[in-house]
Amino acid sequence: MPNVEKENSNIKQPSEWVDLYGDYLYRYALSRLKNPEVAADCVQDTFLAGIKALDKFDGRLDIKFWLRGIMRNKIVDQIRKSIKSQTVDISQEDEALMESMWFKYSGIATTNPDPWEFNPRKQFDNKEFWAVFIECVDHLKNPIKQAFVLKMLEDKTTEEVCKVMDITPNYLWVLIHRAREQLKGILKEKWLNRDSV
Amino acid sequence: MFTCKQVSKSLQQKDYKKLPLVKRMFLQLHVKLCVFCGKFNRQVMENQDICCHYRKHEEEILEYTHPDSVLNDEHKTIIKEEIAKNLKSDLEG
Repeated sequence: MPNVEKENSNIKQPSEWVDLYGDYLYRYALSRLKNPEVAADCVQDTFLAGIKALDKFDGRLDIKFWLRGIMRNKIVDQIRKSIKSQTVDISQEDEALMESMWFKYSGIATTNPDPWEFNPRKQFDNKEFWAVFIECVDHLKNPIKQAFVLKMLEDKTTEEVCKVMDITPNYLWVLIHRAREQLKGILKEKWLNRDSV
Repeated sequence: MFTCKQVSKSLQQKDYKKLPLVKRMFLQLHVKLCVFCGKFNRQVMENQDICCHYRKHEEEILEYTHPDSVLNDEHKTIIKEEIAKNLKSDLEG
């Protein structure tokens, strides 16, 4: 086992990882994968992969974020696995959008999208807003949600997401557009009605 | 100056905040003035801002919104055992 403590006294030994970083990584995995068992497996796989790769850890990052980097790859693997079992079909509506003259000409879906009824940027410091945001992301359905998680939350490149989901860049764009539209609708409904519930 | 298609394509590829400064300025100017793609792409940029802020502050947001989402004792024990097994086999190997 690589004794990292000799090299850097700030780095914790793997035997301490579960108590130190377990909850943090679990919460992160659960927010992406939603299944507690799969999320816990993901944490375990991350720690085991971390032990194997510990020699490559150069100490530039906090080990917590280094482990999170490993976990992000595990999450992508999980999403890839779930996509393999149910291939992504393009709906007729989405196909029509991609074939529309307007989309081909300008790269946008409509000149007149529904406006926001509140300014989301003004809510960034409000933690309640983020609770509603997470709830809204949970409401999205696959493959829209998978595309949104990979591209917008995991911040993967278009090429990477297309490879994982086995779709074209144009279709990824349509999925992200649908995610944006739906998120805006659900956010508006939940945020503006939050006091009346 | 960019065309609407170039602006849209650029926004599809990456967050507008990650673009080089000059390109970002031209893009923002186009979106502000364009009657065709302005409204749409402004919302694309808004969405990118929301996601960017979320990514940056995800740890504290999740701690606040999901305080009870923690590994249970059973999971912790299993993972600790697996780590110990792994460390032991590393030592032996």
